[in-house]
Amino acid sequence: MSPRVAVPVYPGTNSEDETLRAIHAVGLEGTLVHWSAGASGLRGFDAYVLPGGFAYEDRVRAGAVAAHDPMTDAIVEAAEAGKFVLGICNGAQILLETGLVPGTGAIRRPTAAFAPNGPSGRFRCVHVHVKLQVPTSRSPLFAGLGEGAVIPMWAAHGEGRLAATDAELARLDADGLVAFRYSDRRGATSDAAVPNASALGCAGLINARGNVLAIMPHAERDAWTYMHRDGAARAEARGASAAMLAPSGGIALFRSLALALGVRA
Amino acid sequence: MADTAGLGLAPDAPFVVRGRTDEAIRADLKRFGIALSIAELRRIAEGLQRDPTIVEAYAFDAQWSEHCSYKSSRHYLRNLPTTGPTVIQGPAEDAGVLRLGEFEGETYGIVIAHESHNHPSQVVPFEGAATGIGGIVRDVLCMGARVIAVADPLRFGRLDDPHARYVAQGVVDGIAAYGNAIGVPNIAGDVYFDADFDDNCLVNVVALGLVKANEIIHSCAPPNAEGYDIVLVGKATDRSGFGGAAFSSLVLDEADAEQNKGAVQVPDPFLKNVIMRASYKVFDVVRAEGIPVGYKDLGAGGIVGCTAELAASGNFGAIVDLDRCPTSQDDLPAAVIAIGETQERLAWIVPPSFTPRLLAIYNDEFSLPLVSRGACAAIIGTVVAKQNYTARYNDRTVMDVPLDFFTGGIRYDRAVEIVAGPPDGTPPAQPIAIASGNDALALLAQVLAHRDVCSRRPIFERFDSVVRGTTAMPAGFADAGVIVPIDGSPLACALAVDGNPRYGRIDAKRAAELAVIEAIRNVSCVGANAVGLTDCLNFGNPENAVHFGAFAAAVDGLALAARELAVPYVSGNVSLYNENKSGTSVPPSPIIACVGAIDDIATAATHAFKVPGHVVYRLGAAQTTFGGSVVADVLGFPGGALPAIDYTAIRAELGTLAAAYAAGLVFAAHDISDGGMLVALAEMAFATYDADRVLGFALATDLTPGDLAASFFAEAAGTLVEVADGAAFAALAARHGAAVDFVGTVTERSTLELHDGASVELAEAYETWSAPLRDFYEVAS
Repeated sequence: MSPRVAVPVYPGTNSEDETLRAIHAVGLEGTLVHWSAGASGLRGFDAYVLPGGFAYEDRVRAGAVAAHDPMTDAIVEAAEAGKFVLGICNGAQILLETGLVPGTGAIRRPTAAFAPNGPSGRFRCVHVHVKLQVPTSRSPLFAGLGEGAVIPMWAAHGEGRLAATDAELARLDADGLVAFRYSDRRGATSDAAVPNASALGCAGLINARGNVLAIMPHAERDAWTYMHRDGAARAEARGASAAMLAPSGGIALFRSLALALGVRA
Repeated sequence: MADTAGLGLAPDAPFVVRGRTDEAIRADLKRFGIALSIAELRRIAEGLQRDPTIVEAYAFDAQWSEHCSYKSSRHYLRNLPTTGPTVIQGPAEDAGVLRLGEFEGETYGIVIAHESHNHPSQVVPFEGAATGIGGIVRDVLCMGARVIAVADPLRFGRLDDPHARYVAQGVVDGIAAYGNAIGVPNIAGDVYFDADFDDNCLVNVVALGLVKANEIIHSCAPPNAEGYDIVLVGKATDRSGFGGAAFSSLVLDEADAEQNKGAVQVPDPFLKNVIMRASYKVFDVVRAEGIPVGYKDLGAGGIVGCTAELAASGNFGAIVDLDRCPTSQDDLPAAVIAIGETQERLAWIVPPSFTPRLLAIYNDEFSLPLVSRGACAAIIGTVVAKQNYTARYNDRTVMDVPLDFFTGGIRYDRAVEIVAGPPDGTPPAQPIAIASGNDALALLAQVLAHRDVCSRRPIFERFDSVVRGTTAMPAGFADAGVIVPIDGSPLACALAVDGNPRYGRIDAKRAAELAVIEAIRNVSCVGANAVGLTDCLNFGNPENAVHFGAFAAAVDGLALAARELAVPYVSGNVSLYNENKSGTSVPPSPIIACVGAIDDIATAATHAFKVPGHVVYRLGAAQTTFGGSVVADVLGFPGGALPAIDYTAIRAELGTLAAAYAAGLVFAAHDISDGGMLVALAEMAFATYDADRVLGFALATDLTPGDLAASFFAEAAGTLVEVADGAAFAALAARHGAAVDFVGTVTERSTLELHDGASVELAEAYETWSAPLRDFYEVAS
């Protein structure tokens, strides 16, 4: 039987369908779990993927209210029990607000947050690449990625700028909690590659234990060939439906999750 | 200040018309803020054979407004072609449905609706634009469809005008705030800036939905619906949006702006997100169990407008209890409940046996009351056999009208004076002299920086173009936005919007034709087959013969172009009175959306150059005039006649392009529009900045010997096509009878090189093109 992955849907979540689709594409069994099911509806899954959106209308700060939703209790329990938890965009914001990532403070006492984008403070939707910053041995979630993997994604958020005290940022960097930085397609990192002025150029954070990953850009929105920007992969699939409709690119992140759960796609 | 809610009078008190003088009636109309004419009021009293009640007066005010009744425009719109093999449902309900294709034995339809939210956006840009998205999404949702895309044609004033700047910022913010939150990708749009939009911006919005052809839900009471429940779903009714329909049918007066703010609705995308998802669940249940239902959006005219049309279109009547409508406050006047346009509401007609489950899905499973204070699904009335619309409030009948009289509308035959543009062949006021490639490049720099040519990316980036994970070509990445909406299927849907106000100002009919042609060209450029159109007709005051003449002429042009190119209209919208008190009107602005069907996404292409060494051809008839062109605007003198139209040549061009795509010859295609051919070539090179490597271009020829201006800067001049096999492409064009000219070669150099060796670095040109709106939307804001 395939490992079972829960996709929690908070009021305001909007990326559950494409997230579920990517989960299914890598051989996992995904289930949408609606907020009315509460914490009990979320218990008993093998892993959790928190999708993007605007849970609770981004009130207070993106993810802040959802972190206090009773449903989130089940995610905290699962993470503390060592289960894999992946948060994407608003899901990542929720994981930071719960304190599960970077995990340097107490639960629901966040030590870092994804703050409004710099410099404009406004929502941006731009294609990006992210580069893996830690050895793949750092977490089973990275076992399916190559060392220094560069993955294409779409950043689509208004609050994605990592913000914390200077001391905390130094600690995140030194302790290998910055899992992904924005880069160009060849993996070169620079300020120009960062769409939101995020501190450390950070696109994704992982906890020390290596089982909870929060990543702002959406791998699932560049996870099939037809979604890619023009380039070699799309050119090769020109005129070939099967290749154009095949998972590729951003699907790597989900394949790696599947591998961590024992599924080889 | 008008008594805009009829307060101080019982809701069933008569609005006394009979036996009173015009002056006395006029005073009451002003006091109550009702826009009906005295003649219309007298006609209502005559039709009802009594004085209308206060509530009825407000209800007719909304229902007989231009916005709802199309009283000036409807008989013109009948001339538009609306049938064809790609039409699943023509313009009858909230949205039309076009055939996308077959997959796994099912026929899939694309639902499309096209609206304007011009007046509200001028007064309160953020809320006006946001509720524009909100309304159009409900129009598509209520057809039983998944909402899969939106697009925004925008027309703003000058960016050096303070209010126009505020509008241009606020509208973009509002679209972003609403569209991004509900999770529908924004895949297409266009933007023009013009002084004639300083006082009247245009904010159009298009939405697409996906539905199986045999699963459409209709905005109509189903057969045998007598005794069915009328269920209102959504936000608690409040004071916002009272008088919106009538407001949209008036000339904007700055002095009234503060007061009109109350007519604008308040958006709640967070609630809408949940209502959409709950409605999808209801669709699943009614389909699985074959439950007969009707579903309709509440827009103009509020509860009465929506439920009256639901009942009337099924040949039933309705009794609605206004005091059963959930409200946000206790003392809301009956008239406000009846016709206020509170956002985020829809109405179902369902059999009573299903009602408890319907209520449970919205109220318990999706917990609307916890999502927004007072939001819920609630029974508010009953469908009856007698074709009357009855509204009750606190046990008193406040409205009781024959439905055919109420919804049948009225007709105005307005005076029409048609002002034709300069005849074909009229030259520009001064010759456009370009002696060399270097002259052309100097002019190109000015054209690339023109407000209507420069990069739209700073706006497009503010909208989520990829949510839902179906987007193959986001806005700005190709001539049309392209999505792949069905999981596992190669079927794809293209969407383009067009309408050039510089053309509209010169000749409304020709501008309308050119808008249709460009929209069809744009979807053809990505490899799609144009399957249907929508039209949003934005014009000035219909009581002005010249302005209404432009409307009539534009409809003629729309009908002509669509017939010649065999693409039907399935939905549309008319927005009149886009004029301020000083008489300034928007340029005639017929704005067209075109849907294209792509059988296999693997055959589609963006406009980015793909391979060095490939050749580029210009397909289609050349143009030699400059009327309404960007280059004429840059040079500051009239450009003469608008681009000429030869439908035989355009059919040959489109036929060649489709055949070339079918044969796998096309690697990139881009229509020659605003700015002309050099701009189009530059844009094909700029698009490679998003690809693996930057590619340039070298022109082999000046195309029209001795007339560099026409070659390089004339508009509406066909399509540029990148192919590997030039001979095969030229032969195909010859077979279709299409004009074809070799233009040049894609290079590995990051330059645009002209025929005589003059060249410009792409990086420099790209910065020229990128800077103007970036500086406005990212820096100045």
